[in-house]
Amino acid sequence: MGNLRLYLLLAGARLRGQVQYRVSFALQVASSFTSTFVELLALLILFRTFNDLGGWSVGEVAFLYGLASVAFAIAELLGEGLEQASRMIREGEFDRVLTRPVAPLLQVLAADIQLRRIGRLTQGLLAFGLAQRWATIDWTPLKGLLLLAAIGSTTVVFLTVFLIGASICFWTVESSEFQNIFTYGGTELASNPLQIYPRLLQGIFLFIVPLGLTTFYPALHILAKPDPLGLPPFVPFLAPLVAALFLGVGLIIWEFGMRHYQSTGS
Amino acid sequence: MRVYLEALRMSYRRFRTYGAATLAGLATNCFFGLLRSAVFIAFYTQRPIAEGYSLHDALTYVWLTQGMIMPLYLWGSLEIAESIRTGAIASDLAKPFNYFGFWLSRDLGRAAYHLLYRWLPTLIIGFVFFRIRLPGSPLAWSSFALSFLLAIILTFCLRFMINVVGFWTTDVRGIMGMVLLFVNFLTGFLVPLEFFPPTLRAIVTELPFAAIISIPNKIFLEQAHGLDLLILLSRQLFWVVVFITAAQLLLRAATRKLEVQGG
Repeated sequence: MGNLRLYLLLAGARLRGQVQYRVSFALQVASSFTSTFVELLALLILFRTFNDLGGWSVGEVAFLYGLASVAFAIAELLGEGLEQASRMIREGEFDRVLTRPVAPLLQVLAADIQLRRIGRLTQGLLAFGLAQRWATIDWTPLKGLLLLAAIGSTTVVFLTVFLIGASICFWTVESSEFQNIFTYGGTELASNPLQIYPRLLQGIFLFIVPLGLTTFYPALHILAKPDPLGLPPFVPFLAPLVAALFLGVGLIIWEFGMRHYQSTGS
Repeated sequence: MRVYLEALRMSYRRFRTYGAATLAGLATNCFFGLLRSAVFIAFYTQRPIAEGYSLHDALTYVWLTQGMIMPLYLWGSLEIAESIRTGAIASDLAKPFNYFGFWLSRDLGRAAYHLLYRWLPTLIIGFVFFRIRLPGSPLAWSSFALSFLLAIILTFCLRFMINVVGFWTTDVRGIMGMVLLFVNFLTGFLVPLEFFPPTLRAIVTELPFAAIISIPNKIFLEQAHGLDLLILLSRQLFWVVVFITAAQLLLRAATRKLEVQGG
């Protein structure tokens, strides 16, 4: 059986399981929605008092916010298994994973999928709606394609951060809250125009964890904003390439970590 | 009384064993402090004062609230709900002390730890890198200390009550998420309440949530003096009394309802 088919089969079973408890599921989705919606609300409230953020209007910032939010929601939905890797290693479940004739990464990914994340996804789409209403965007087929590429690339970057976080558990067993800086912190950072941050932070989020290249730069092109950092004009189109490279690094760390794996014996 | 002090001390010591987690958490709080500061710095290039806040005040607000996250335990714990799910609650309730008082003592021990190892370092970092303003008089410091303590008791009551709902339903996670994350907004954690649209602001300042973040911050920023200060503190005290009473009533109703899960 093909790996993808197997993944879809396992994932489907998880999803069906989650919607069985209807009230609980509805509450979880609602909670995921409100928790992220209040962040959007907070942003809108600040824009009542202030006109623009680093030269970006409320509609333009909403666009950036929506892009980061939608991508992070998809990454959280698909990557929950990676977040559980620490527990799998600690409780010895990873031993079982290794004995099965299926790629370990696929098993870890299929171990958990959190459908409740559609709450955050909905909220991100809402932000896109506001952006479409308030910002003037001259849509072209190329821009549409770039937006899809940006969402996909950003999702891959977030998933890779989860992957690296899970790989580190091979050494430390416990997952670290440090990861939050790049996941939750990364979403927050990517929701605002990059030029408002200190240089060092811009550098980290452009060239190490390349969220800036997958969110801010595609957004610059789509919204036809001038580039405050003066990078070459083709940079907005590098997003998929950069995401693929970052994923490659993540996979190498994962493989390396797996070779280092020692069972906890529990 | 001794049993409560002992519970407080034990809880403090338990949290002290989480050294590495504390460091990672502190780094995360400060990272968010940095991001939130950058947003305000960019916004404030347009005007020196907004809704009574200078940039200096806004940055102080940011770092103070980032520091308060853990002492207030804003995103909470489900320990009591967990004890209901496992059945450990039965023996806890049988023990010869006040159940509410026992958990409050434990939570104060935890808060003491977080005050020292999360709030204080965050505030120092904010002071060193962003020159946040500190209260200028012993009176301001002591009223802030009192206000902070009341806020901690308030969030404890809130978390306690959400946990106790677990007596009726063993799945409190969804409710917890809803309430506590809505709290992020209504307390003024994400944006000071002064920035809210007038109608919304008028409602929100009357809610108990304002007593959790907004009031301690106003006192820290020395925005209220004399009678105004007294009114803010009594408002907090009022909500603390209401919440403690409500928590007791809820607990009494719940214990009558309790069905212990076996196991």
